[in-house]
Amino acid sequence: MNFHVYNRDISVGAIKVSAVASSSLFLVGDAETIQLASTFDTPPESLIIGPFVPLAPESGSR
Amino acid sequence: MLQRTASVNNVEMDSLAIASVFQIGDSNLIQGFSRAIAVQREVELFFDNEGNFANYPIFSEPLPLIPISETINMSRQNINPFIKVGNIDIIGVSSSSIVHLGNTNHVTLETRVKHIRQLSPKK
Repeated sequence: MNFHVYNRDISVGAIKVSAVASSSLFLVGDAETIQLASTFDTPPESLIIGPFVPLAPESGSR
Repeated sequence: MLQRTASVNNVEMDSLAIASVFQIGDSNLIQGFSRAIAVQREVELFFDNEGNFANYPIFSEPLPLIPISETINMSRQNINPFIKVGNIDIIGVSSSSIVHLGNTNHVTLETRVKHIRQLSPKK
C-alpha cells in the first residue's frame, strides 16, 4: 500500500480534556506506530452482594 | 526526513499522577503498562493489605495486538512544518498516561483493569 501524506496547515484553537488516564496518550505531534491495548472485565461473580470480605491479600512471593 | 514541530501557546494541567509523563520535546520509543483492581464498596471500609493480581486471569492472559502484515510504504511532505495549538487545558493525567508535545516513533501502551462491586445486602 502506498500512503502519501501532505501535511498542510493544522492549527487548533483550544483543547479541553477532563482526563488522560490508564495508559492513554495525548499526542501533539507525529508518530510512526501507535499500539494501544486495554482489557477490563466485570463478570457476574465480581458483583458481590453480601458481607464485606476483604480481597485475598498480596501473596508473599514477589 | 524533516519532521514537524508542535507549537503550543499554553498548557494548563491540574494533576499528573501515578507514573504519568508530561513530555515536551521529541522521543523515540514509548512503552507503558498499568494494571488495577477497581473495587467499589457501598460502605467506606478499607483494609491495608488487599488484592492480589495473581488471583485474576485478566492480569496474565495474553492480549493479542494484531500484527501489521501488509507492507506500507509511506511518503510524507511537510508543506507546513508546524502543528499549532493555542490552549490545552487538562484536568487530570493518571496511571501511566502520557501528554506528549512533539514527535515520537513507536508507542505501545497497555492497561488491565479488574472491576469488583461490593454491595451491602440490607435493602
